[in-house]
Amino acid sequence: MSAVVPPAIAAGARAPVQAGAPPLVVAHVAKSFDADGRVVPVIGDLSLTLNEGEIVAIVGPSGCGKTTLLNTLCGLIAPDAGRVSWFGREMSGQPAGVGYMLQKDLLLPWRTALRNAMLGLEIRGVPLSEAEERAHVMLDQLGLHGFADHYPTTLSGGMRQRVALARTLVNEPDVLLLDEPFAALDFQTKLLIESDTAKLVRESQRSVLLITHDIEEAVSIADRVIVLSKRPTRVKAMYDIALGTERTDMIAARESAGFVDYVRRIWADLDVTRQ
Amino acid sequence: MNGSPLQSPIAADAGIDAAAKGAAARRLATHRRARLRASLLVLASQIALLAAFIAFWEYMTAFDKQAAFMFGSPSAIAGFLLTMARDGSLWRDTYVTGVETLLGFLVGNVIGTLIGLSLWYSRFVSRVIEPFVIALGSIPIIALAPIIIIWFGTGLTSKIAMSTLSVVIVALVTSYKGAVGVDADQINLMRTLGASKFQIFRKLVVPASLTDIFAGFKLTVGFALIGAIVGEFMSSSEGLGHAIFKAGSLYIIPKVFAALVATIALALVLTFIVGKVEKLLMPWRRLG
Repeated sequence: MSAVVPPAIAAGARAPVQAGAPPLVVAHVAKSFDADGRVVPVIGDLSLTLNEGEIVAIVGPSGCGKTTLLNTLCGLIAPDAGRVSWFGREMSGQPAGVGYMLQKDLLLPWRTALRNAMLGLEIRGVPLSEAEERAHVMLDQLGLHGFADHYPTTLSGGMRQRVALARTLVNEPDVLLLDEPFAALDFQTKLLIESDTAKLVRESQRSVLLITHDIEEAVSIADRVIVLSKRPTRVKAMYDIALGTERTDMIAARESAGFVDYVRRIWADLDVTRQ
Repeated sequence: MNGSPLQSPIAADAGIDAAAKGAAARRLATHRRARLRASLLVLASQIALLAAFIAFWEYMTAFDKQAAFMFGSPSAIAGFLLTMARDGSLWRDTYVTGVETLLGFLVGNVIGTLIGLSLWYSRFVSRVIEPFVIALGSIPIIALAPIIIIWFGTGLTSKIAMSTLSVVIVALVTSYKGAVGVDADQINLMRTLGASKFQIFRKLVVPASLTDIFAGFKLTVGFALIGAIVGEFMSSSEGLGHAIFKAGSLYIIPKVFAALVATIALALVLTFIVGKVEKLLMPWRRLG
């Protein structure tokens, strides 16, 4: 354990990284909920690994506990059994260096796009001028040039989700946890944002865990797709996606030869028809 | 990100030719005119309704001495308003009641809102004091008036205290409701961004509660005025409540109504100011 980088707890610090350890290891995690005295097992026995620079998509039948899994990963709820380790360190509380994005953009309506994007930096005590500068750059990169001073109510759904993405990426997280972030968007907007996200993430070698119910989205964006079973959730199947195309172009990915085959096999795994 | 596909629709937007722009501007102007006409119609109807009511009132009391005594008449009320304006008592009474109301409103809302918001901090404390808050809130303020007069005297302070008491519980409840009503996902987002409890409070809970707090302000303007007037009823030497009480006990009904008109005007002005402040403090709401 000599290669442990000294923990830097100070504001703005990255997670203490154990050299060589994968960003996220989930080992035999289980979680049940108490519903009116009845114990409802949501996550059965779940293990998975997210490697550095990898985009992993998790798909599962609806109501399979994807959101419970996400909340467990980001430390909002504690698992009943099993371990979650970030960068080789067992988790306690909120992991550092992890960015989240949900289907709801959760923008604060009283803040402009810029001030929303700089929320995380502000919380971590980054000087205001530097935070503004970085948020500006991030908004520009996401195609929101000229919209910095707009309030969320005046932005379209796609633009709002781009601001939420900027708010996540501006903190320079090592890992992104995405919970159906594009589900509420129309098809064209979705493809564009997916492509931009893939581009930004792959350029900077960040790791991504994408939770989604959209099989085509999973196959087109991810290096690996993990299929979950119905509750109590466990890993049902895993696919390494090799499409042989530039993996930042969602349209090219969807047109590539193997795409339909992956989608069909995962669809069969989900076993939707018999529900 | 030049050449990003996202920017193309925006660029195309800028490139709309002049003819289309002119047509759009014309459509917008037509739409604005239609909207203006609709709101003018509402205003005209309101004025007509008020005029009809006043005319009916005047007509019913013009030939009936007893009705004129019991109900006053618009012309007599106007006469009293004019006299009171000339001798200065109208302005003096309105000013006094206005100051009492405003101070009670401010003190009550500041105390109530501070307590209501800070209760967000501790679920435990808020659960402990909940029944007490409900009990205090159910006390008719008028029942406290005699004690308030004993404690604070017959001057300005007792009226402000009455006004404050009318406001404080409502302000506490509305601001607490706003604070605990904050979206749990939004709180989780703040937590995942590493926010401390105080940062969540300051950057999320307080601004998110503003909508409810201002709803409380609009409600408590009226309550503050009621508190001040009730305080003046009990014991006072000036103010609109004093004028109403005195004129009432002397059976000068038109003068009661004249003071009532001034009270309504005061309430409208204060409500208008609260609305203006709300717009000023929450600019994002105008855009929704």
